Amino acid sequence: MPTKPQLVWMYEMMEKARYYEDTMAAAYMEGKTPKFDIGAGPLPGEMHLAAGQEPCAAGVCVHLKKEDTVTATHRPHHVAIAKGVDLKKMTAEIYGKESGLAGGRGGHMHLLDPEVNFSCSGIIAQGTAPAVGAGLAAKLNGSDAVAVSYLGEGAANQGGFHEAMNLAALWTLPVIFVIEDNAWGISVPKSKSTAVPDNSVRAAGYGIPGFHVADNNTLELFKVAGEAIARARRGEGPTLIEVETYRYYGHFQGDPELYRPKDEVAKLKAKDPIRRLREALIADGTVTQAEADEALAKVKTEVDEAFAFAKAATYPAPEEALERVFA
Amino acid sequence: MATEIALPPDLWDAAANPEGIVANWFFTEGAGVRKGATVAEIMVEKTSFDIAAPADGHLHIVVGKDGVVKPGAVIGTVDGG
Amino acid sequence: MSSNRIMTVSRAISEAIAQEMRTDPKVFVMGEDIGKYGGIFGTTTGLLAEFGEERVRDTPISETGFIGAGVGAAMSGMRPIVELMFVDFFGVCMDSIYNLAAKNIYFSGGNYKVPMVIMTATGGGYSDAGQHSQTLHATFAHLPGLKVVAPSNAYDAKGMMISAIRDDSPVVFMFHKGLQGLAWMASPEAAATELPEEAYTIPFGKANIVRAGKDVTIVTLSMMVHRSLEAAAALEKEGIDAEVIDLRTLVPLDRKTVIRSVAKTGRLVVVDEDYKSFGLTAEILASVVEDDPAHLKAAPQRLAVPDVPIPYSRPMERFVLPNAETIAAAVRATLGKVREAA
Repeated sequence: MPTKPQLVWMYEMMEKARYYEDTMAAAYMEGKTPKFDIGAGPLPGEMHLAAGQEPCAAGVCVHLKKEDTVTATHRPHHVAIAKGVDLKKMTAEIYGKESGLAGGRGGHMHLLDPEVNFSCSGIIAQGTAPAVGAGLAAKLNGSDAVAVSYLGEGAANQGGFHEAMNLAALWTLPVIFVIEDNAWGISVPKSKSTAVPDNSVRAAGYGIPGFHVADNNTLELFKVAGEAIARARRGEGPTLIEVETYRYYGHFQGDPELYRPKDEVAKLKAKDPIRRLREALIADGTVTQAEADEALAKVKTEVDEAFAFAKAATYPAPEEALERVFA
Repeated sequence: MATEIALPPDLWDAAANPEGIVANWFFTEGAGVRKGATVAEIMVEKTSFDIAAPADGHLHIVVGKDGVVKPGAVIGTVDGG
Repeated sequence: MSSNRIMTVSRAISEAIAQEMRTDPKVFVMGEDIGKYGGIFGTTTGLLAEFGEERVRDTPISETGFIGAGVGAAMSGMRPIVELMFVDFFGVCMDSIYNLAAKNIYFSGGNYKVPMVIMTATGGGYSDAGQHSQTLHATFAHLPGLKVVAPSNAYDAKGMMISAIRDDSPVVFMFHKGLQGLAWMASPEAAATELPEEAYTIPFGKANIVRAGKDVTIVTLSMMVHRSLEAAAALEKEGIDAEVIDLRTLVPLDRKTVIRSVAKTGRLVVVDEDYKSFGLTAEILASVVEDDPAHLKAAPQRLAVPDVPIPYSRPMERFVLPNAETIAAAVRATLGKVREAA
């Protein structure tokens, strides 16, 4: 059962992530109208936003410590926020500024922060094997730290994912694989990419437990992930969890989404998971309406400050491109 | 007798996106075009629409590349004469 | 009746594929988002509507699987065109490409054909960072058994794609994202060209002298052809007459045209958007010197990404990619420098 601090933490984290993504969506379009030029404006390049997927981060990361490792994908912001990546440095990195996590070298798809053991990258399923490695390191070091690998349902068809699952199972490593099933691999729906409708059954192929969390349910994921993480800490090995979640925005910002049914997003928003949690917490008296509003205002301020910091920050000198290749 | 190349008035949802851009012309000024041939591409945010020549004839460009357009705009004409 | 039809590179590629698919039922296309989406970079626009799902197949994100399947299908008599969405993704599936597609003709003594096209998007300059901005010309050109081609404009793209599809050897068709003419990504004016309606081929191994000149030879391909022509236009005002060679294909490589040009001008600048060391620029220099070091009146110059991952932040990315100014500076350097007497 989640404690009140855990519930409040999850609610705040999700509101923070949602406001972050919505703020980023508006900021991304600066300099890109009326003609959308992907290379223009203060946020050039690709942008993959996770609005709607917040429960996947909240329900898992609420159980994690700083020492636990998380690897994430090209759609990383909500997970980075949940893991405690410094919001100002992260936003500055996304803006390509000198004070960013990597001095602007990585950008939005490559956010790395050893302080909280978080990394993400842009190749599909690329984070699965490194999470296995972090789990291996924990085992060799005799610590009870765990590793969580985030991947999409599209990534579940990439060979590397299967190798990672087998390795984690074979060596009984403390790894939790969390599949964020947002139903779309860019334009391809799960039914057209995956031989089984529910990826959790694939866990059986590796002799590990598999769970499916339906309909973006934060509290259900809290329970399943809590058990999986506890199991891993006890040395009982890996778990696979698939969460059915919602992708509110396109695959990338500017995606015309011609492949998507026109009313799909509206239907998903009608059952928004953050609103569902908020209403549940107020209904059962965990928080009052005023407390919820105050929490929301607090996280909005934090996000606004992070964006202001990033916008005001300086760009790196061009020659900095040549530095920090090697340790 | 010149035929207008007009964007369909309902080509995109003008309430959501009032303006589009002429992204590409696929023929030069004065070029001979066939009815039905794709002559231009309009971009609205990131969606592209192909625009076909309404008649055989010679193309005259009214709104050039990168010009801003609204649904129903006349972007060119085809001169059958 | 249609004349002066100007097409973008992406539409030229789609047209080439469609024309071959109409005449040869063995040709089919596989890849990620190449169906309804028409390819993330527009290479398969209109194909699903015309040819249907059996011949225009969206795949799962399983590059080893579908590219390996492409090799198998090619060896079974089909002519697959497989899209590797970004060249940067080759890491997950390179075995099928360099150990199978590239070598099965050889391993079979020529008894097997591998008539497969791997088309893939290259290039940076729009802030897509280190895993989505590479060009990797040398990575593929270095490994024997693959033909590697990279058009700089729509006319070449159509002819080279048709040649690629008709080739019985595996062809890696590298198209630069910034040349595609996509409405949402800026491209040079000259990338879109007049395009004949009929099918035609452009033979591999024939470089194109896109600008004749007498003072210096600039050797390049793909996007850098356009930057080099910009540089040449600026240099003309300074009284410098630059010859610009568009290699078009890395394998086979038209060394003859390059050597003949350098023998004429005596000065060489090579421009490549790929990483500098161990790559195309070195190969061109070596080819010229191997023929006769006396071709060169001055030390040659090469411009490429200085052996660092492509950075995200715009000022840093601009710093590492060659551009018209740095190309012109390299030309001036090779004209100002005099080789020290031994």
